[in-house]
Amino acid sequence: MQTDALHLGRVMAVARNTFREAVRNRAFLGLLLFSVAFILSSILLSALAVVGEGARVVVDFGFFAVGLFSAATAIVMGALLVYKELERKTIYTIVSKPIHRYEFILGKYLGLMAILCAQVIALSVIWVLVILMRDGDVSLEHAKGMALVLMEVGVVAAAAMMFSAASNPMLTGLFTLGVFIVGRLVYLIENMLQAPKGLFVDNTFARAFGETVVAVFPDLSVFDVSQQVLLGVAVAPGYLLHAFSYAFAYALIFMVVALFAFERRDFT
Amino acid sequence: MSEAAAASGGITPVLAFEKLTKEFKLGLRLTRVQAVRSVDLQVHQGEIFGFLGPNGAGKTTSMKMAMGLIRPTSGRALLFGESVERPAIRRRIGYLPEQPYFYDYLTGAEILDFYGQLYGMPKKARQQRVDALLTLVGLDHARDRTLRRFSKGMLQRIGIAQAILNDPDLVVLDEPMSGLDPMGRKEVRDIILQLKQQGKTVFFSSHILHDIETICDRVAIIVRGRVERMGSLGDLLTANSGSVEVVGTDASAELLARLQTDGLGAEVAGHGHRWVVEEARLETLLRALMDGGARITHVEPMRESLEDLFVREAGAHHAD
Repeated sequence: MQTDALHLGRVMAVARNTFREAVRNRAFLGLLLFSVAFILSSILLSALAVVGEGARVVVDFGFFAVGLFSAATAIVMGALLVYKELERKTIYTIVSKPIHRYEFILGKYLGLMAILCAQVIALSVIWVLVILMRDGDVSLEHAKGMALVLMEVGVVAAAAMMFSAASNPMLTGLFTLGVFIVGRLVYLIENMLQAPKGLFVDNTFARAFGETVVAVFPDLSVFDVSQQVLLGVAVAPGYLLHAFSYAFAYALIFMVVALFAFERRDFT
Repeated sequence: MSEAAAASGGITPVLAFEKLTKEFKLGLRLTRVQAVRSVDLQVHQGEIFGFLGPNGAGKTTSMKMAMGLIRPTSGRALLFGESVERPAIRRRIGYLPEQPYFYDYLTGAEILDFYGQLYGMPKKARQQRVDALLTLVGLDHARDRTLRRFSKGMLQRIGIAQAILNDPDLVVLDEPMSGLDPMGRKEVRDIILQLKQQGKTVFFSSHILHDIETICDRVAIIVRGRVERMGSLGDLLTANSGSVEVVGTDASAELLARLQTDGLGAEVAGHGHRWVVEEARLETLLRALMDGGARITHVEPMRESLEDLFVREAGAHHAD
Protein backbone atom coordinates (compact mmCIF):
# COMPACT_ATOMS: atom_id res chain seq x y z
CA MET A 1 0.00 0.00 0.00
CA GLN A 2 1.41 3.36 -0.95
CA THR A 3 0.83 5.94 1.74
CA ASP A 4 1.29 9.67 1.84
CA ALA A 5 2.27 9.82 5.51
CA LEU A 6 5.40 11.53 6.80
CA HIS A 7 8.36 9.26 6.12
CA LEU A 8 11.34 9.69 8.42
CA GLY A 9 13.64 7.83 6.01
CA ARG A 10 13.17 10.55 3.39
CA VAL A 11 13.64 13.33 5.96
CA MET A 12 16.86 11.71 7.16
CA ALA A 13 18.11 11.20 3.60
CA VAL A 14 17.80 14.96 2.98
CA ALA A 15 19.34 15.72 6.40
CA ARG A 16 22.33 13.40 5.80
CA ASN A 17 22.90 14.92 2.40
CA THR A 18 22.77 18.47 3.81
CA PHE A 19 25.37 17.50 6.39
CA ARG A 20 27.54 15.88 3.73
CA GLU A 21 27.39 19.05 1.65
CA ALA A 22 28.75 21.11 4.56
CA VAL A 23 31.53 18.63 5.31
CA ARG A 24 32.65 18.80 1.67
CA ASN A 25 32.33 22.58 1.53
CA ARG A 26 35.68 24.34 1.82
CA ALA A 27 34.05 27.62 2.92
CA PHE A 28 32.45 25.89 5.91
CA LEU A 29 35.65 24.11 6.84
CA GLY A 30 37.46 27.45 6.53
CA LEU A 31 34.99 29.08 8.93
CA LEU A 32 35.43 26.18 11.34
CA LEU A 33 39.22 26.52 11.25
CA PHE A 34 38.95 30.27 11.75
CA SER A 35 36.71 29.83 14.79
CA VAL A 36 39.13 27.24 16.22
CA ALA A 37 41.96 29.76 15.76
CA PHE A 38 39.81 32.41 17.41
CA ILE A 39 39.26 30.25 20.49
CA LEU A 40 42.95 29.35 20.62
CA SER A 41 43.73 33.07 20.57
CA SER A 42 42.08 33.31 23.99
CA ILE A 43 45.33 31.75 25.33
CA LEU A 44 47.07 35.02 24.46
CA LEU A 45 44.23 37.09 25.85
CA SER A 46 44.22 35.19 29.11
CA ALA A 47 47.95 35.83 29.48
CA LEU A 48 47.12 39.53 29.78
CA ALA A 49 44.57 38.91 32.54
CA VAL A 50 45.18 39.46 36.25
CA VAL A 51 47.00 36.52 37.80
CA GLY A 52 44.54 33.73 38.57
CA GLU A 53 41.87 35.13 36.24
CA GLY A 54 43.30 33.55 33.06
CA ALA A 55 41.00 30.53 33.05
CA ARG A 56 37.95 32.77 33.68
CA VAL A 57 38.81 34.84 30.62
CA VAL A 58 39.06 31.68 28.54
CA VAL A 59 35.66 30.44 29.78
CA ASP A 60 33.97 33.78 29.07
CA PHE A 61 35.65 34.16 25.70
CA GLY A 62 34.73 30.60 24.75
CA PHE A 63 31.01 31.14 25.36
CA PHE A 64 31.18 34.31 23.30
CA ALA A 65 33.12 32.74 20.42
CA VAL A 66 31.17 29.46 20.17
CA GLY A 67 27.84 31.33 20.34
CA LEU A 68 28.91 33.91 17.76
CA PHE A 69 30.44 31.53 15.20
CA SER A 70 27.66 28.99 15.50
CA ALA A 71 25.06 31.72 15.04
CA ALA A 72 27.02 32.96 12.00
CA THR A 73 26.93 29.44 10.54
CA ALA A 74 23.18 29.17 11.26
CA ILE A 75 22.50 32.52 9.56
CA VAL A 76 24.72 32.04 6.50
CA MET A 77 23.93 28.39 5.88
CA GLY A 78 20.25 28.83 6.73
CA ALA A 79 20.06 31.68 4.21
CA LEU A 80 21.76 29.66 1.47
CA LEU A 81 20.47 26.11 1.98
CA VAL A 82 17.08 26.49 0.33
CA TYR A 83 18.17 29.29 -2.00
CA LYS A 84 20.91 27.16 -3.55
CA GLU A 85 18.43 24.37 -4.23
CA LEU A 86 16.25 26.81 -6.16
CA GLU A 87 19.04 28.73 -7.84
CA ARG A 88 20.88 25.61 -9.00
CA LYS A 89 17.58 23.92 -9.83
CA THR A 90 18.52 20.79 -7.88
CA ILE A 91 15.07 21.08 -6.29
CA TYR A 92 13.42 19.84 -9.53
CA THR A 93 14.70 16.30 -9.19
CA ILE A 94 13.88 16.23 -5.47
CA VAL A 95 10.33 17.59 -5.31
CA SER A 96 9.30 15.41 -8.27
CA LYS A 97 10.25 12.33 -6.21
CA PRO A 98 7.74 10.86 -3.73
CA ILE A 99 8.61 13.32 -0.98
CA HIS A 100 6.44 15.92 0.72
CA ARG A 101 7.75 19.45 0.52
CA TYR A 102 7.55 19.67 4.32
CA GLU A 103 9.74 16.55 4.58
CA PHE A 104 12.33 18.29 2.44
CA ILE A 105 12.35 21.47 4.57
CA LEU A 106 12.38 19.43 7.76
CA GLY A 107 15.31 17.39 6.41
CA LYS A 108 17.19 20.56 5.52
CA TYR A 109 16.64 21.93 9.04
CA LEU A 110 17.74 18.70 10.72
CA GLY A 111 20.81 18.59 8.47
CA LEU A 112 21.65 22.16 9.47
CA MET A 113 21.17 21.24 13.13
CA ALA A 114 23.54 18.29 12.69
CA ILE A 115 26.13 20.69 11.24
CA LEU A 116 25.64 23.13 14.12
CA CYS A 117 25.82 20.29 16.63
CA ALA A 118 29.12 19.07 15.15
CA GLN A 119 30.44 22.64 15.15
CA VAL A 120 29.48 23.33 18.78
CA ILE A 121 30.97 20.00 19.89
CA ALA A 122 34.22 20.54 17.94
CA LEU A 123 34.65 24.08 19.26
CA SER A 124 33.73 23.00 22.79
CA VAL A 125 36.45 20.35 22.74
CA ILE A 126 39.04 22.99 21.77
CA TRP A 127 37.63 25.33 24.38
CA VAL A 128 37.87 22.69 27.14
CA LEU A 129 41.46 21.90 26.14
CA VAL A 130 42.36 25.58 26.39
CA ILE A 131 40.68 25.87 29.82
CA LEU A 132 42.66 22.85 31.03
CA MET A 133 45.87 24.36 29.62
CA ARG A 134 45.20 27.48 31.69
CA ASP A 135 44.71 25.29 34.79
CA GLY A 136 40.98 25.96 34.93
CA ASP A 137 38.30 23.55 36.15
CA VAL A 138 35.90 21.89 33.76
CA SER A 139 32.61 20.55 35.02
CA LEU A 140 29.26 19.33 33.71
CA GLU A 141 28.09 22.96 33.93
CA HIS A 142 30.30 23.83 30.97
CA ALA A 143 28.59 21.14 28.91
CA LYS A 144 25.18 22.42 29.99
CA GLY A 145 26.22 25.92 28.94
CA MET A 146 27.17 24.67 25.48
CA ALA A 147 23.92 22.68 25.21
CA LEU A 148 22.12 25.99 25.76
CA VAL A 149 24.23 27.63 23.04
CA LEU A 150 23.09 24.86 20.70
CA MET A 151 19.45 25.54 21.62
CA GLU A 152 19.94 29.22 20.85
CA VAL A 153 21.38 28.55 17.39
CA GLY A 154 18.56 26.05 16.82
CA VAL A 155 16.11 28.95 17.14
CA VAL A 156 18.26 31.17 14.89
CA ALA A 157 18.52 28.40 12.26
CA ALA A 158 14.73 27.92 12.26
CA ALA A 159 14.29 31.69 11.76
CA ALA A 160 16.69 31.49 8.80
CA MET A 161 14.69 28.61 7.31
CA MET A 162 11.49 30.62 7.71
CA PHE A 163 12.84 33.68 5.91
CA SER A 164 14.64 31.68 3.24
CA ALA A 165 11.47 29.77 2.31
CA ALA A 166 9.92 33.05 1.21
CA SER A 167 12.71 35.49 0.30
CA ASN A 168 16.24 35.80 -1.07
CA PRO A 169 19.51 35.11 0.80
CA MET A 170 20.31 38.80 1.33
CA LEU A 171 16.99 39.53 3.03
CA THR A 172 17.09 36.21 4.87
CA GLY A 173 20.56 37.02 6.20
CA LEU A 174 19.48 40.50 7.32
CA PHE A 175 16.22 39.38 8.91
CA THR A 176 17.83 36.46 10.71
CA LEU A 177 20.66 38.65 11.95
CA GLY A 178 17.93 41.00 13.18
CA VAL A 179 16.26 38.16 15.09
CA PHE A 180 19.63 37.21 16.62
CA ILE A 181 20.60 40.73 17.69
CA VAL A 182 17.14 41.79 18.90
CA GLY A 183 16.74 38.38 20.57
CA ARG A 184 19.87 38.98 22.59
CA LEU A 185 18.61 42.45 23.60
CA VAL A 186 15.02 41.52 24.45
CA TYR A 187 15.85 41.18 28.16
CA LEU A 188 17.13 44.78 28.17
CA ILE A 189 13.90 46.06 26.63
CA GLU A 190 11.94 43.99 29.13
CA ASN A 191 13.90 45.58 31.98
CA MET A 192 13.26 49.05 30.56
CA LEU A 193 9.55 48.33 30.29
CA GLN A 194 9.50 47.37 33.98
CA ALA A 195 11.57 50.36 35.08
CA PRO A 196 9.71 53.13 37.02
CA LYS A 197 10.80 55.78 34.48
CA GLY A 198 12.26 56.02 30.99
CA LEU A 199 11.39 56.16 27.30
CA PHE A 200 9.51 52.84 27.27
CA VAL A 201 7.35 54.00 30.20
CA ASP A 202 6.71 57.65 29.34
CA ASN A 203 6.07 57.36 25.58
CA THR A 204 2.95 55.36 24.62
CA PHE A 205 4.23 54.57 21.13
CA ALA A 206 7.64 53.44 22.41
CA ARG A 207 5.94 51.32 25.04
CA ALA A 208 3.69 49.61 22.48
CA PHE A 209 6.72 49.04 20.26
CA GLY A 210 8.75 47.59 23.14
CA GLU A 211 5.91 45.33 24.22
CA THR A 212 5.47 44.05 20.66
CA VAL A 213 9.19 43.30 20.34
CA VAL A 214 9.18 41.44 23.65
CA ALA A 215 6.06 39.50 22.64
CA VAL A 216 7.27 38.54 19.14
CA PHE A 217 11.02 38.02 19.38
CA PRO A 218 12.58 35.11 21.24
CA ASP A 219 14.49 36.13 24.35
CA LEU A 220 17.86 34.61 23.54
CA SER A 221 19.35 35.63 26.91
CA VAL A 222 17.51 32.58 28.25
CA PHE A 223 20.29 30.51 26.68
CA ASP A 224 23.17 32.48 28.17
CA VAL A 225 24.41 30.97 31.42
CA SER A 226 28.04 32.02 31.01
CA GLN A 227 28.05 34.17 34.17
CA GLN A 228 26.48 31.36 36.18
CA VAL A 229 29.13 28.91 34.99
CA LEU A 230 31.88 31.45 35.73
CA LEU A 231 30.58 31.88 39.26
CA GLY A 232 30.34 28.11 39.70
CA VAL A 233 26.57 28.14 40.20
CA ALA A 234 24.92 24.92 38.99
CA VAL A 235 22.44 25.11 36.12
CA ALA A 236 19.33 23.30 37.36
CA PRO A 237 17.94 20.46 35.17
CA GLY A 238 14.55 22.18 35.41
CA TYR A 239 16.04 25.31 33.86
CA LEU A 240 17.52 23.25 31.01
CA LEU A 241 14.12 21.71 30.37
CA HIS A 242 12.47 25.13 30.44
CA ALA A 243 15.03 26.53 27.98
CA PHE A 244 14.63 23.51 25.71
CA SER A 245 10.83 23.89 25.67
CA TYR A 246 11.22 27.60 24.94
CA ALA A 247 13.63 26.93 22.04
CA PHE A 248 11.46 24.10 20.72
CA ALA A 249 8.32 26.27 20.76
CA TYR A 250 9.99 29.10 18.83
CA ALA A 251 11.69 26.74 16.36
CA LEU A 252 8.35 25.00 15.81
CA ILE A 253 6.55 28.28 15.07
CA PHE A 254 9.28 29.40 12.66
CA MET A 255 9.33 26.01 10.93
CA VAL A 256 5.54 25.87 10.54
CA VAL A 257 5.65 29.28 8.81
CA ALA A 258 8.57 28.02 6.66
CA LEU A 259 6.63 24.91 5.66
CA PHE A 260 3.56 26.91 4.65
CA ALA A 261 5.65 29.39 2.64
CA PHE A 262 7.54 26.58 0.89
CA GLU A 263 4.36 24.63 0.19
CA ARG A 264 2.96 27.56 -1.81
CA ARG A 265 6.04 28.20 -3.94
CA ASP A 266 6.23 27.63 -7.68
CA PHE A 267 9.58 26.27 -8.87
CA THR A 268 9.81 28.10 -12.15
CA MET B 1 -14.34 9.25 -13.58
CA SER B 2 -12.25 12.21 -14.68
CA GLU B 3 -13.01 14.09 -17.89
CA ALA B 4 -9.85 12.63 -19.36
CA ALA B 5 -10.88 9.05 -18.59
CA ALA B 6 -14.35 9.70 -19.97
CA ALA B 7 -12.85 11.13 -23.14
CA SER B 8 -10.67 8.09 -23.64
CA GLY B 9 -13.51 5.60 -23.37
CA GLY B 10 -13.13 4.79 -19.69
CA ILE B 11 -9.44 3.91 -19.83
CA THR B 12 -7.55 6.19 -17.48
CA PRO B 13 -4.78 7.99 -19.36
CA VAL B 14 -1.29 7.73 -17.88
CA LEU B 15 -1.00 11.51 -18.07
CA ALA B 16 -3.80 13.97 -18.66
CA PHE B 17 -3.98 17.76 -18.82
CA GLU B 18 -7.50 19.09 -18.34
CA LYS B 19 -7.87 22.74 -19.34
CA LEU B 20 -4.42 23.25 -17.85
CA THR B 21 -3.63 26.94 -17.54
CA LYS B 22 -0.75 28.86 -15.98
CA GLU B 23 -0.57 32.58 -15.62
CA PHE B 24 2.52 34.37 -14.30
CA LYS B 25 2.63 37.88 -12.94
CA LEU B 26 5.79 39.53 -14.18
CA GLY B 27 7.63 42.74 -13.40
CA LEU B 28 6.87 45.49 -10.94
CA ARG B 29 3.50 46.14 -12.53
CA LEU B 30 2.63 42.45 -12.18
CA THR B 31 1.72 42.16 -15.83
CA ARG B 32 -0.17 38.94 -16.42
CA VAL B 33 1.34 36.54 -18.91
CA GLN B 34 -0.37 33.28 -19.85
CA ALA B 35 2.37 30.70 -20.34
CA VAL B 36 -0.02 27.78 -20.81
CA ARG B 37 -3.57 28.28 -22.08
CA SER B 38 -6.28 25.72 -21.43
CA VAL B 39 -4.29 22.73 -22.64
CA ASP B 40 -6.15 19.42 -22.99
CA LEU B 41 -3.96 16.44 -23.66
CA GLN B 42 -3.87 12.73 -22.90
CA VAL B 43 -0.97 10.34 -22.99
CA HIS B 44 -1.87 6.66 -23.09
CA GLN B 45 -0.24 3.54 -21.73
CA GLY B 46 2.76 2.35 -23.69
CA GLU B 47 3.10 5.22 -26.14
CA ILE B 48 5.94 7.60 -26.84
CA PHE B 49 4.40 11.04 -26.91
CA GLY B 50 6.32 13.99 -28.30
CA PHE B 51 5.69 17.49 -27.05
CA LEU B 52 6.92 19.84 -29.73
CA GLY B 53 7.12 23.59 -29.74
CA PRO B 54 9.43 26.53 -30.21
CA ASN B 55 11.32 28.02 -27.27
CA GLY B 56 8.99 29.74 -24.81
CA ALA B 57 5.91 27.89 -26.10
CA GLY B 58 5.01 26.50 -22.66
CA LYS B 59 6.45 22.98 -22.88
CA THR B 60 8.57 23.14 -19.73
CA THR B 61 5.88 24.96 -17.72
CA SER B 62 3.33 22.28 -18.68
CA MET B 63 5.73 19.52 -17.71
CA LYS B 64 6.52 21.19 -14.40
CA MET B 65 2.80 21.37 -13.64
CA ALA B 66 2.57 17.64 -14.41
CA MET B 67 5.41 17.04 -11.92
CA GLY B 68 3.94 19.23 -9.17
CA LEU B 69 6.73 21.81 -9.36
CA ILE B 70 4.37 24.56 -10.47
CA ARG B 71 0.73 24.84 -9.47
CA PRO B 72 -1.77 25.52 -12.28
CA THR B 73 -3.72 28.78 -12.21
CA SER B 74 -6.72 26.73 -13.36
CA GLY B 75 -7.35 23.28 -14.74
CA ARG B 76 -5.38 20.27 -13.57
CA ALA B 77 -2.74 17.71 -14.41
CA LEU B 78 -3.49 14.09 -13.56
CA LEU B 79 -1.10 11.16 -13.33
CA PHE B 80 -2.82 7.80 -13.61
CA GLY B 81 -6.07 9.63 -12.87
CA GLU B 82 -4.78 11.07 -9.61
CA SER B 83 -3.47 14.43 -8.48
CA VAL B 84 0.29 14.90 -8.70
CA GLU B 85 0.08 16.51 -5.25
CA ARG B 86 0.06 12.99 -3.79
CA PRO B 87 3.68 11.91 -3.25
CA ALA B 88 2.70 8.23 -3.54
CA ILE B 89 1.67 8.72 -7.17
CA ARG B 90 5.14 10.08 -7.89
CA ARG B 91 6.55 6.60 -7.17
CA ARG B 92 5.28 5.64 -10.60
CA ILE B 93 6.96 8.45 -12.54
CA GLY B 94 10.47 9.47 -13.48
CA TYR B 95 11.38 13.02 -14.49
CA LEU B 96 14.35 14.56 -16.24
CA PRO B 97 14.25 18.38 -16.12
CA GLU B 98 15.59 20.56 -18.90
CA GLN B 99 19.34 21.15 -18.44
CA PRO B 100 19.37 19.22 -15.18
CA TYR B 101 21.50 20.26 -12.23
CA PHE B 102 22.63 17.92 -9.49
CA TYR B 103 24.56 18.13 -6.25
CA ASP B 104 28.02 18.51 -7.69
CA TYR B 105 29.79 17.50 -4.49
CA LEU B 106 28.41 13.96 -4.80
CA THR B 107 29.82 11.19 -6.97
CA GLY B 108 27.86 9.44 -9.71
CA ALA B 109 27.05 6.51 -7.42
CA GLU B 110 26.26 8.72 -4.41
CA ILE B 111 23.72 10.89 -6.21
CA LEU B 112 21.78 7.88 -7.49
CA ASP B 113 21.94 6.30 -4.03
CA PHE B 114 20.53 9.52 -2.55
CA TYR B 115 17.60 9.51 -4.99
CA GLY B 116 17.06 5.84 -4.18
CA GLN B 117 16.67 6.79 -0.53
CA LEU B 118 13.94 9.28 -1.47
CA TYR B 119 12.07 6.37 -3.07
CA GLY B 120 12.48 4.44 0.19
CA MET B 121 14.45 1.68 -1.55
CA PRO B 122 16.28 -0.72 0.82
CA LYS B 123 20.06 -0.38 0.85
CA LYS B 124 20.88 -3.63 -0.97
CA ALA B 125 18.29 -3.06 -3.70
CA ARG B 126 19.58 0.48 -4.06
CA GLN B 127 23.16 -0.64 -4.56
CA GLN B 128 22.17 -3.20 -7.20
CA ARG B 129 19.99 -0.69 -9.04
CA VAL B 130 22.69 2.00 -8.96
CA ASP B 131 25.26 -0.43 -10.41
CA ALA B 132 22.87 -1.54 -13.16
CA LEU B 133 21.94 2.03 -14.09
CA LEU B 134 25.53 3.27 -14.21
CA THR B 135 26.24 0.44 -16.65
CA LEU B 136 23.11 1.19 -18.70
CA VAL B 137 24.00 4.86 -19.17
CA GLY B 138 27.69 4.12 -19.70
CA LEU B 139 29.00 5.79 -16.55
CA ASP B 140 30.59 2.80 -14.86
CA HIS B 141 33.98 4.44 -15.11
CA ALA B 142 32.76 7.61 -13.39
CA ARG B 143 30.91 6.10 -10.43
CA ASP B 144 33.40 7.54 -7.90
CA ARG B 145 33.98 10.84 -9.68
CA THR B 146 32.29 13.94 -8.27
CA LEU B 147 29.66 15.47 -10.54
CA ARG B 148 31.51 18.79 -10.74
CA ARG B 149 34.00 16.92 -12.93
CA PHE B 150 31.30 15.55 -15.24
CA SER B 151 30.83 16.82 -18.80
CA LYS B 152 27.42 18.08 -19.91
CA GLY B 153 26.72 14.81 -21.70
CA MET B 154 27.63 12.81 -18.59
CA LEU B 155 25.30 14.93 -16.47
CA GLN B 156 22.51 14.28 -18.96
CA ARG B 157 23.17 10.54 -18.60
CA ILE B 158 23.00 10.80 -14.80
CA GLY B 159 19.74 12.71 -15.33
CA ILE B 160 18.31 9.86 -17.36
CA ALA B 161 19.55 7.30 -14.83
CA GLN B 162 17.78 9.08 -11.97
CA ALA B 163 14.63 9.37 -14.07
CA ILE B 164 14.37 5.60 -14.47
CA LEU B 165 15.83 4.66 -11.08
CA ASN B 166 12.47 3.58 -9.66
CA ASP B 167 11.49 1.55 -12.75
CA PRO B 168 8.67 4.05 -13.42
CA ASP B 169 5.54 3.44 -15.50
CA LEU B 170 5.73 6.97 -16.94
CA VAL B 171 8.94 8.75 -17.84
CA VAL B 172 8.76 12.50 -18.45
CA LEU B 173 11.82 13.91 -20.21
CA ASP B 174 12.22 17.63 -20.85
CA GLU B 175 14.54 18.14 -23.84
CA PRO B 176 16.47 14.91 -23.16
CA MET B 177 18.64 15.20 -26.26
CA SER B 178 19.51 18.85 -25.82
CA GLY B 179 23.25 19.50 -25.66
CA LEU B 180 24.20 15.97 -26.66
CA ASP B 181 26.40 15.02 -29.59
CA PRO B 182 24.89 12.79 -32.34
CA MET B 183 26.15 9.65 -30.59
CA GLY B 184 24.66 10.75 -27.27
CA ARG B 185 21.35 11.57 -29.00
CA LYS B 186 21.23 8.12 -30.51
CA GLU B 187 21.89 6.53 -27.12
CA VAL B 188 19.05 8.50 -25.54
CA ARG B 189 16.77 7.52 -28.44
CA ASP B 190 17.68 3.89 -27.88
CA ILE B 191 16.93 4.15 -24.16
CA ILE B 192 13.51 5.69 -24.94
CA LEU B 193 12.73 2.89 -27.39
CA GLN B 194 13.89 0.32 -24.82
CA LEU B 195 11.50 1.85 -22.29
CA LYS B 196 8.65 1.51 -24.76
CA GLN B 197 9.57 -2.14 -25.34
CA GLN B 198 9.30 -2.66 -21.59
CA GLY B 199 5.74 -1.31 -21.73
CA LYS B 200 6.58 2.09 -20.25
CA THR B 201 5.02 5.34 -21.35
CA VAL B 202 7.33 8.17 -22.38
CA PHE B 203 6.33 11.83 -22.59
CA PHE B 204 9.13 13.97 -23.87
CA SER B 205 9.63 17.44 -25.22
CA SER B 206 12.03 18.51 -27.90
CA HIS B 207 12.61 21.18 -30.44
CA ILE B 208 14.78 18.75 -32.42
CA LEU B 209 12.21 17.65 -34.96
CA HIS B 210 14.17 14.66 -36.17
CA ASP B 211 14.13 13.06 -32.71
CA ILE B 212 10.38 13.36 -32.43
CA GLU B 213 9.74 12.25 -36.00
CA THR B 214 11.77 9.07 -35.66
CA ILE B 215 10.46 7.69 -32.37
CA CYS B 216 7.12 9.21 -31.38
CA ASP B 217 3.76 7.49 -31.71
CA ARG B 218 1.87 10.71 -31.17
CA VAL B 219 2.77 14.35 -31.13
CA ALA B 220 1.31 17.57 -29.79
CA ILE B 221 2.48 20.88 -31.18
CA ILE B 222 2.31 23.70 -28.67
CA VAL B 223 2.63 27.30 -29.77
CA ARG B 224 2.28 30.28 -27.42
CA GLY B 225 0.84 28.13 -24.66
CA ARG B 226 -1.82 26.50 -26.79
CA VAL B 227 -1.86 23.01 -28.28
CA GLU B 228 -2.41 23.68 -31.97
CA ARG B 229 -2.19 20.16 -33.37
CA MET B 230 -2.26 16.73 -31.81
CA GLY B 231 -2.41 13.25 -33.20
CA SER B 232 -0.42 10.38 -34.63
CA LEU B 233 2.41 11.38 -36.94
CA GLY B 234 0.65 9.61 -39.80
CA ASP B 235 -2.52 11.66 -39.29
CA LEU B 236 -0.69 14.94 -38.94
CA LEU B 237 1.73 14.49 -41.78
CA THR B 238 -0.54 13.14 -44.53
CA ALA B 239 -2.97 15.99 -44.29
CA ASN B 240 -1.38 17.73 -47.26
CA SER B 241 -0.70 14.69 -49.43
CA GLY B 242 -2.04 14.32 -52.96
CA SER B 243 1.17 15.48 -54.57
CA VAL B 244 3.94 13.31 -55.96
CA GLU B 245 7.63 14.07 -56.25
CA VAL B 246 9.43 12.94 -59.41
CA VAL B 247 13.16 13.18 -60.01
CA GLY B 248 14.74 12.49 -63.40
CA THR B 249 17.95 12.97 -65.35
CA ASP B 250 18.94 13.35 -68.99
CA ALA B 251 15.91 15.49 -69.87
CA SER B 252 16.66 17.59 -72.95
CA ALA B 253 16.18 21.34 -72.98
CA GLU B 254 13.45 20.90 -75.58
CA LEU B 255 11.57 18.44 -73.36
CA LEU B 256 11.89 20.72 -70.35
CA ALA B 257 10.55 23.65 -72.36
CA ARG B 258 7.57 21.62 -73.60
CA LEU B 259 6.75 20.46 -70.07
CA GLN B 260 7.07 24.02 -68.84
CA THR B 261 4.48 25.08 -71.42
CA ASP B 262 2.16 22.34 -70.18
CA GLY B 263 2.41 23.65 -66.64
CA LEU B 264 4.90 20.94 -65.52
CA GLY B 265 7.87 23.19 -64.80
CA ALA B 266 10.89 21.55 -63.12
CA GLU B 267 13.50 22.76 -60.70
CA VAL B 268 17.14 21.76 -60.82
CA ALA B 269 17.96 19.05 -58.27
CA GLY B 270 21.55 17.78 -58.17
CA HIS B 271 22.49 16.40 -61.59
CA GLY B 272 18.87 16.20 -62.70
CA HIS B 273 15.50 17.85 -62.32
CA ARG B 274 12.67 17.63 -59.81
CA TRP B 275 8.93 17.95 -60.37
CA VAL B 276 6.13 18.11 -57.80
CA VAL B 277 2.84 17.27 -59.49
CA GLU B 278 -0.69 16.44 -58.47
CA GLU B 279 -1.50 12.74 -58.63
CA ALA B 280 -3.92 13.35 -61.51
CA ARG B 281 -1.10 14.64 -63.74
CA LEU B 282 1.53 12.08 -62.73
CA GLU B 283 0.86 9.76 -65.65
CA THR B 284 1.14 12.61 -68.17
CA LEU B 285 4.50 13.66 -66.75
CA LEU B 286 5.94 10.15 -66.57
CA ARG B 287 4.85 9.35 -70.14
CA ALA B 288 6.34 12.61 -71.43
CA LEU B 289 9.63 11.93 -69.67
CA MET B 290 9.91 8.35 -70.95
CA ASP B 291 8.91 9.34 -74.50
CA GLY B 292 11.39 12.21 -74.40
CA GLY B 293 14.27 9.87 -73.49
CA ALA B 294 14.77 11.05 -69.90
CA ARG B 295 15.67 8.67 -67.04
CA ILE B 296 13.29 8.59 -64.08
CA THR B 297 15.21 8.01 -60.84
CA HIS B 298 12.70 8.72 -58.12
CA VAL B 299 8.89 8.76 -57.76
CA GLU B 300 7.41 9.22 -54.28
CA PRO B 301 4.14 10.52 -52.88
CA MET B 302 4.85 13.84 -51.11
CA ARG B 303 4.61 13.62 -47.33
CA GLU B 304 4.69 16.79 -45.37
CA SER B 305 7.62 16.59 -42.96
CA LEU B 306 7.15 17.38 -39.31
CA GLU B 307 9.35 20.36 -39.93
CA ASP B 308 6.97 21.68 -42.60
CA LEU B 309 4.05 21.23 -40.24
CA PHE B 310 5.90 22.79 -37.33
CA VAL B 311 7.04 25.79 -39.33
CA ARG B 312 3.52 26.25 -40.68
CA GLU B 313 1.90 26.13 -37.21
CA ALA B 314 4.52 28.30 -35.52
CA GLY B 315 4.66 30.62 -38.53
CA ALA B 316 0.89 31.14 -38.61
CA HIS B 317 1.03 32.46 -35.06
CA HIS B 318 4.10 34.50 -35.70
CA ALA B 319 2.18 36.30 -38.43
CA ASP B 320 -0.74 37.07 -36.03
